[in-house]
Amino acid sequence: MIPGKYRSVSGRAANNVNCGLHLVIQTSSLPEKSKVEFKLNKETPSFSGRLLQHDLERNYSSRQGDGRVISPSPRNKSSCISSTTNVTELCGLEMKTAMSSLSAFGDSSIQTPSKSRIRQGCHSAGPNVSGDHITLASSSMPSFPILQRSSEEKILYSDRLTLERQKLTVCPIIDGEEHLRLLNFQHNFITRIQNISNLQRLIFLDLYDNQIEEISGLSTLRSLRVLLLGKNRIKKISNLENLKSLDVLDLHGNQITKIENVGHLCDLRVLNLARNLLSHVDNLSGLDSLTELNLRHNQITFVRDVDNLPCLQRLFLSFNNISTFESVCCLADSSSLSDITFDGNPIAQESWYKHTILQNMTQLRQLDMKRVTEEERRMASVAAKKEEEKKRESHKQSLLKEKKRLTINNVARKWDLQQHRISSIAPNQDRKVSDCPQDPSQLRGSTVSAFPEETGSLDSGLTSALQGLSVTDTHLVEVDGDTLSLYGSGALESLDRNWSVQTAGMVTTVSFTFIEFDEIVQVLPKLKIKFPNSLHLKFKETNLVMLQQFNALAQLRRVDQLTVDPQGNPVVNFTLWKYYVLFRLSHFSMQKINGTEVTQNDMIMAERLFGILAHVASSELPQYRLISILGDARKKQFRYLLETKGKKPGLVNEENSDSKRLVGENTNRATLNYTTRDFYNERLEEIKEKKKFCKMYMEDLVKEATEINMKNEALQKLWPQMFIELVRDAVIEIRNKNSYMKLCLQQITDQK
Amino acid sequence: MLSPERLALPDYEYLAQRHVLTYMEDAVCQLLENKEDISQYGVARFFTEYFNSVCQGTHILFREFSFIQATPHNRASFLRAFWKCFRTVGKNGDLLTMREYHCLLQLLCPDFPLELTQKAARIVLMDDAMDCLMSFSDFLFAFQIQFYYSEFLESVAAIYQDLLAGKNPNTVIVPTSSSGQHRQRPPLGEASMLEGVEASQFSQCLENLCDRHKYSCPPPALVKEVLSNVQRLTFYGFLVALSKHHGINQALGALPDKGDLMHDPAMDEELERLLAQVPGLVNSATANPEAGCLPSRTPPRVGSPWRPLHHARKVDAESDGSTEETDESET
Repeated sequence: MIPGKYRSVSGRAANNVNCGLHLVIQTSSLPEKSKVEFKLNKETPSFSGRLLQHDLERNYSSRQGDGRVISPSPRNKSSCISSTTNVTELCGLEMKTAMSSLSAFGDSSIQTPSKSRIRQGCHSAGPNVSGDHITLASSSMPSFPILQRSSEEKILYSDRLTLERQKLTVCPIIDGEEHLRLLNFQHNFITRIQNISNLQRLIFLDLYDNQIEEISGLSTLRSLRVLLLGKNRIKKISNLENLKSLDVLDLHGNQITKIENVGHLCDLRVLNLARNLLSHVDNLSGLDSLTELNLRHNQITFVRDVDNLPCLQRLFLSFNNISTFESVCCLADSSSLSDITFDGNPIAQESWYKHTILQNMTQLRQLDMKRVTEEERRMASVAAKKEEEKKRESHKQSLLKEKKRLTINNVARKWDLQQHRISSIAPNQDRKVSDCPQDPSQLRGSTVSAFPEETGSLDSGLTSALQGLSVTDTHLVEVDGDTLSLYGSGALESLDRNWSVQTAGMVTTVSFTFIEFDEIVQVLPKLKIKFPNSLHLKFKETNLVMLQQFNALAQLRRVDQLTVDPQGNPVVNFTLWKYYVLFRLSHFSMQKINGTEVTQNDMIMAERLFGILAHVASSELPQYRLISILGDARKKQFRYLLETKGKKPGLVNEENSDSKRLVGENTNRATLNYTTRDFYNERLEEIKEKKKFCKMYMEDLVKEATEINMKNEALQKLWPQMFIELVRDAVIEIRNKNSYMKLCLQQITDQK
Repeated sequence: MLSPERLALPDYEYLAQRHVLTYMEDAVCQLLENKEDISQYGVARFFTEYFNSVCQGTHILFREFSFIQATPHNRASFLRAFWKCFRTVGKNGDLLTMREYHCLLQLLCPDFPLELTQKAARIVLMDDAMDCLMSFSDFLFAFQIQFYYSEFLESVAAIYQDLLAGKNPNTVIVPTSSSGQHRQRPPLGEASMLEGVEASQFSQCLENLCDRHKYSCPPPALVKEVLSNVQRLTFYGFLVALSKHHGINQALGALPDKGDLMHDPAMDEELERLLAQVPGLVNSATANPEAGCLPSRTPPRVGSPWRPLHHARKVDAESDGSTEETDESET
């Protein structure tokens, strides 16, 4: 493919232009040896075939294009002379085409064995031809040799001079060659550019593969169009101020760390900075004619200013360190860019790479040396849209996550405060839960994320019911799959909501965090009804401190798993807690407690430890107490049922039988129930009242009784004496029978 | 009705002193509370049941603390109930913390105050390391003294403090309930120097106290016996001695002797019956109850790692883990 391309370009150049300047780029098998041949020729079209072949023959096979060098071919001596104007014009024109196409491919490997064979011949013949006729004589000055050519040589190559591979350490003084246009110092050991300031007509200067450390000595070469400084030791771009007409600047293979001092090169078309130490791309404004910029094999992490290059068509950024599209986003603003490479960058590994680039740079015709097809472009736009959506979604998610995190933090802080307060002051029940207004869009979004399969039913009137996640400042309710998570006491209110049947049915795990256990107890009946399938309860930071608190869980329908986090639940530190749970909730036949499987032995141990408690509680309790304790539980259930009645008669019936079953199942432990502290205190208060009344009542009663008793006793004490006295009185009265009879008769007659 | 004491007091005071009023009040109170239920099966039946349960000592189950501590009989009943219900925990050999014992107490009496449990634990542990583990019997006997004689002990603490301070306590009005500030133990330096107070003096003071104390106190003869064995003693040393004294335990009558503490054949039988009903449980427990019993009494528990620590903690208490004795008693 590459040679073909090359052929067509050079062929076209030869065919269409009578007076053609051919740029032939050869890349050698060794990276630094690759070579571009620069030919001036004036040929008839018919001759072009031969020329092409000729060119090809001397092409070195190429592998890496970074070390591209443009050099005048010493072979085409006769044919390539033309007028000055012609040369310069064509140079500009042709070079543009040739360079552009060639440099684009220059980096890719071209392996043509036949060519590498030819190269051998070239080496022996090519450069030496001119060398034979050149005499390098030592000048009067100690270090600079003076170059002199024979007159025929001069006539033959009046405008060119090739000093390739001459082991030069300095530039020789070139005398009497003011008309030189091409000068080639390739493959020498020159450390400094010197002694060429008199060559003011120089158009082409090739210093490829030398040891130059600084750009200097060029200020007089105002007509210089091509400056090749590849493979040197230049650290800084400088001293190019006067080279206003520079067309090609090759600085590849140097140690340049930064692009600078090039803003005035408004005619520059090609800039090669490959294999340098650039860390970023900047300072490009002013390069109004730049069409190609080669930046391969640097350490570039970001690219700026490219949108200030109105003519830039090709940009090579292969093998750099670009990892995000954001760092090269200015490329999207360049309207002229049609060819770009990113291969060998981290960014090219990303899944979104291709479609992101294509989506953002619609003007591209080639990406990484491949034509961009319509199909690709379309796919890119689709993918980009998807990507965008995904991004938005993930952003939303992360936003939501962040909000969740904040809320939980907030709840935790509140909880801590509250715990502290409880430890210092008596528990205060009127905690304020201020619901802040919720962002409806977010709510909706989160709903979608929580129930992707339910999005279809969102508009079916259930929208309000489907609140997968609602975030407020003081509490958090979240449904994630089968888990309902409640943070903060305010979250308990969410149980009052109308949960959709589907959601409610799906929830099997309910997790409580930062909620007082006593508050949870109060909503357990609701939980039982609203989430009938909940099997797994999780408690964290819920102030579970007593074994008896577990009694409250017995009223649930079913519990398969119980997880009590030691954090904020001191009860877990007890050795007995697990057994107590197993014992008290034995009717659930639980499977796991805190993640550990419940074994038969655990069950036996639980029964062994607490069985007697249950037995005592059920068998030794006086019957009236039994009834009242069991009745309490039953009454409570009934009260709640009465409240919910009418709404869901079916549920209530079910509930009813359920509670009956529950009571029937474990009467002997039903007596072990838990009343929350507040409720208990209330009851104690009540009892106190009653007691007071009873005390008074009893006091009166007993006092009365003792008084009666006392009177009775006093009477008992007096009675015998009284009786005797009475008898005595009677006896005395009837002692005189006659007078008594008289008296009696008297009484009778008186009555009448 | 014809006891001579009865004639010494007016009827009302007599009833009050004998706590008859307390029970009558409570009975009426219960009646009031469960009006609907009781009316279904008769007030007479209710009173019968109530006073029966008072006699059996089951009336204190799940009652409020104020009632449980109202009379000595209630206290003894509660102690007995606690022992009965959680004997199995002790039998299992578990050593528990003060908080855990407190939880067990709360299972029987939801508003049982932490302070009492703490005090009882202090008798066992002899220091303020309240997180240490205690054996069931140690705790139970200490708890018995602390709970049953709670008011008496407060007075004793006050007397002890006065003696330490060199005052003659007999001239001081003994505080009964508001003696919280006396509860602190003497500073360590002083205690180690003096090793508490002289037993004879202390004994005399206590005798006086017992004479005029209106709350129940341990039999004075036994207190004397406890004190006669030593020259000097500290307050907690005294309490430990009280809690270990089986005569006092007998006089109190709520708990069996220490040797028989884990022995309750009737309940064991009941437990076996219950174990047989454990859902899903197969023949292992029913067919071979001895085998089922084994894990509960396994020696490894005794030799488990925290055991030595426990011993070291309460050298003063001279309390060996009662488990050995338990094993003895069971065999």
